Amino acid sequence: MKEYTVLAVFSVLATMALDRTSGVRVLRKKLYYIFFTVIIAFKLLVNGYLTRHIVMYNPQFFMGIRIGTIPLEDFLFGFSMVTISIICWEYCKKTHRA
Amino acid sequence: MSTYMTVLIIAGIVPLALSFWPGLKFYQNIRALFISIALVVTLFGAWDIFAVYRGHWFFNPDGVWSVKIINLPIEEVLFFIVIPFCCIFTWEALNYINEKMR
Repeated sequence: MKEYTVLAVFSVLATMALDRTSGVRVLRKKLYYIFFTVIIAFKLLVNGYLTRHIVMYNPQFFMGIRIGTIPLEDFLFGFSMVTISIICWEYCKKTHRA
Repeated sequence: MSTYMTVLIIAGIVPLALSFWPGLKFYQNIRALFISIALVVTLFGAWDIFAVYRGHWFFNPDGVWSVKIINLPIEEVLFFIVIPFCCIFTWEALNYINEKMR
């Protein structure tokens, strides 16, 4: 298994565990899936551009499957990053309403 | 201006402008916003530093400014601030629209 692939899969599992243990359970909300679809559309634009011109990947560390120019692993990285930010936001909104 | 910085500005400008929409009350939870962004910068910044250190990916020097934080171009660090901001804004905006339509 390639290193980036392993890390990316691990991040998805850790994110799912965090969603559960924090009690936020954003992954159970219907709106989350609408949200994620919107985010994916923007991700294709931004990440598509970045992976074409700016970020260069070493083929030794990922599976080599790309959607357009975006490595498959980047979608897992993106899922984890986006979902953790929403879990944290929802969690903090409940606990420290300022 | 680097290409990467231009991408960040294009990605962030509309969410930033719309985040001041009065009905949204986005900045009512500014503390939650700061904590969430700080968490993403820490976790995903650390992942990125490790990945660059290991050689998983690298940044085309033509597309980024030469200023670095550890081994990451400054734009890559800003990415972990801009993108969570855009995501949290989008999440709040969708929740707001959803409530309005009810």
